[in-house]
Amino acid sequence: MSFSIRKSLYPGLNLGEGHGDDHLEAETSVFGFWVFMMSDLVTFGMFFAVFATTVPLACCPGPKELFNLGSVALQTAFLLASSLTSGMAILTLKQQHASRSASTKKLIFWLLLTVLLGCGFLYREISDFIAMAAAGGPPTRSGYLSALWSLVGLHGLHVTGGLVWCLVIVAGILVRGVDLRWKLTLLRWAVFWHFLDVVWIAIFSFVFLGGLL
Amino acid sequence: MERNKEFRHYLVGFVLATVLTVIPFTLVATVGGKVALFALILCAILQLIVHLRYFLHLSFKGQQREDLQLVLFTGLILFLMIGGSVWILGDLYNRM
Repeated sequence: MSFSIRKSLYPGLNLGEGHGDDHLEAETSVFGFWVFMMSDLVTFGMFFAVFATTVPLACCPGPKELFNLGSVALQTAFLLASSLTSGMAILTLKQQHASRSASTKKLIFWLLLTVLLGCGFLYREISDFIAMAAAGGPPTRSGYLSALWSLVGLHGLHVTGGLVWCLVIVAGILVRGVDLRWKLTLLRWAVFWHFLDVVWIAIFSFVFLGGLL
Repeated sequence: MERNKEFRHYLVGFVLATVLTVIPFTLVATVGGKVALFALILCAILQLIVHLRYFLHLSFKGQQREDLQLVLFTGLILFLMIGGSVWILGDLYNRM
């Protein structure tokens, strides 16, 4: 197996050569997760397509009555910051070669910080949903609103799933240490979390900002 | 050394992404109109690339996994499906 250890894989969502065979193990499972993530992206794409076809019918109430630009900016900030902290968690993981070491605490710190930021995002998003329903824009009101709630709600569900996943990883690390299984899970979770932020770029740009123009 | 380099990589990505987020929000809140729309689309595409490049570490060279091809192919599929749906239904809408 040494032939591929020699080759330096690109930096980032990999374990790094210091992890020996675990590094190679991560190759296949992370690539497999990328394939899943892409199919998930196509799902989001279809929700976007449905949403886009309903935009000309967005009226009464439409975006101008329902959206809160400040809150969307805050959600964007939360999610972007959480992307950075999850990246810091992966960097810490790459440095840590033993299953329990001084940097385990650091790793857990970054993961919990990510969860905290993700909760901030969800809190703002749910408050916005409640405010939207109160302002006369529940999902049953129009085709546009159904598509809007499904698209943004689907993203919110993914974020919720990502947060639960992260907490499970933290618990697993506390119980069993950072072994191969949790290393691989962490890498996959990081791909997932970064992609949620990528999807959010499309949502805040085209759904919220585009709607307010 | 390697660690510092990667840390800086993330930081550069974060700063770029922040700038590319602040621009469209500010423009929509203040200027509006066609200018904001074009800036919005441009910033969204650029920020997409920043995220893939700096957070997910995709690049054109030194790639050992086929992640990039996978993303590009999915991009093509998405373009066809979303573009096609919007084109056809937009055409129908204009005829109504």
